[in-house]
Amino acid sequence: MFGAATFHAAMAEIVVGSMVLASLCAIGCSVGSIFPNILGGRLSSERMMLTMDKASIAGASLGLAFIPIAALSGSFAADNTVNNALLYNKFVYTGLAAGFWAAFVIGRIRLGPRLWEHRSLSVLQGATATMAILMTTMASSIGGKLVRGESLFDIMPIWLPSDSATVLNPIVSIVLLLVGTGSLFAVFKLGPKAERIEAD
Amino acid sequence: MHSRISIVTVIAILLATGASVANPGGNGDADRDYTCGGSCHGDPALSTPSDGTVSVSVDSTIFSGTATAVHVTASGMSLSGNRLLGVFLLGSADGNGDHPEDHGWSIVQDPNGGSHNYVEVVVPSSGSVTMTWVMLAPQTLGTANLFVATHHGSNPNSNNWAYSGLTRGYTVDVQPVPENLPGFAFDWKPETRVTGDTSPTVIRTTNTTSVSVQWMLEGEWIPHEAEVSGEGDEWHAQIPATIGDTRIQYQVTTSNGEFSITQPWLTVATQPAPFDGDIWDARLQGLALALLVTAFLLSLQARLSPWEGGPAPDMTLEVEAETAPPEPPGLEPKGPGEEVAYLARLVKYDEHPGVLWDPVEEEWVDDPDFGGDE
Repeated sequence: MFGAATFHAAMAEIVVGSMVLASLCAIGCSVGSIFPNILGGRLSSERMMLTMDKASIAGASLGLAFIPIAALSGSFAADNTVNNALLYNKFVYTGLAAGFWAAFVIGRIRLGPRLWEHRSLSVLQGATATMAILMTTMASSIGGKLVRGESLFDIMPIWLPSDSATVLNPIVSIVLLLVGTGSLFAVFKLGPKAERIEAD
Repeated sequence: MHSRISIVTVIAILLATGASVANPGGNGDADRDYTCGGSCHGDPALSTPSDGTVSVSVDSTIFSGTATAVHVTASGMSLSGNRLLGVFLLGSADGNGDHPEDHGWSIVQDPNGGSHNYVEVVVPSSGSVTMTWVMLAPQTLGTANLFVATHHGSNPNSNNWAYSGLTRGYTVDVQPVPENLPGFAFDWKPETRVTGDTSPTVIRTTNTTSVSVQWMLEGEWIPHEAEVSGEGDEWHAQIPATIGDTRIQYQVTTSNGEFSITQPWLTVATQPAPFDGDIWDARLQGLALALLVTAFLLSLQARLSPWEGGPAPDMTLEVEAETAPPEPPGLEPKGPGEEVAYLARLVKYDEHPGVLWDPVEEEWVDDPDFGGDE
């Protein structure tokens, strides 16, 4: 047998590893489509774009599937208690990361691989992947702070707020949850149908 | 060239991990035996003697059960990037049963305001730090020893060594306490207050008929008198609330008409207000944010992508082309094949430069090669 903390560490490594691959490839696709001549056009070559697109969707899907497992095992590792702002923010950043990654994966599946050929969609996907990896690394860095007292973010110029938490009243959270669910329903059922982008 | 840069980058990243050692952020204040210092850090391959100097100041003779201050000054040691120093106050250095309380002492207060024998402090840039433990001497008469051990890192620390130091034993002669000597109750420990809490500080004593308390902010020179109420063995001192990083020290004088004993300075131990969120708040908030972010981004994607019912593209030219009335007979635009056949039938006469003869229509037309259209 092994402890919940060990299992959580393994799951978190899978999530972060696959998400790093996904975000690098997604940003590569975005940059390649916006600046086709960068790196002598090698980044935007059809073969490269296809490879990066497939790697990004595969990595993001794998990571997204493992986020709930990592979150639950982390919850067990913390004895299902949240007694400080760092731990609370870990949950919040995990939720944000899951939201960004879910949007990235769903968007890519709905719109197809040719979404990178549309400048505005390409920028949006690239920005989504950037935000997603930022939230993912924040959540995992908080884990490092909690366990080892240090994080790679200590030497980086970026450090999002984590020492203090904005704790929403559960009622407000439930209302936001309902708003989010309603918004998703509206997007999928009532809103404009996003079509898979085909070749011209 | 690119492959060389990649290899150098990978090697640099791998080497950067060498700066990280076992517990660079410390383990937190706790009650620990010297085993902690003797197990992991005892391995000669993993540790090296500290290059710092540690001095201990404690009264050589004290009365049993009375309060005394143990001052520990550490200086001159190498430190890791976060300048963290771990200090043990020990009753022995055997490896187990080393806690001072195993040797009859009672820790009233440690340097960080708690009551532990192991504390971690951040050493200021001066490189020297003084920590004070306030302890009650053992009830058992005779000699008692106190040891101090230190742990710290170094920057750079290419060998990933833990630096450890252990002082000699400082012997304290525990004398019988004079009868009716006023002092702290042996099992009393100062309460920890929450930041901003103005509730009175409870002091429990023995053989005491009156108590006076003086307090001052750390760094102040002139103490202030605190209002004290109570009787018997429990007293309440009104000490201001601690706000932010300020530290308040206070000194209790216990009297009973026969003796008046000024106790060592203590620190008002404060801790942040307890966190008011729980795990279900965090889960709900995380899930709600996830759904909101997903919904927002999906709607943005739908807005930016081609979608049914979206604004129609500008097809004016195509529509106009399709709905324009047909040209009158004879004026229809010629196709490329018709144009070639038309030009082929035209006959050029040298005596009529600039014009060509159309034998079908039996008319002269402008020579296009000459500059005319028709």
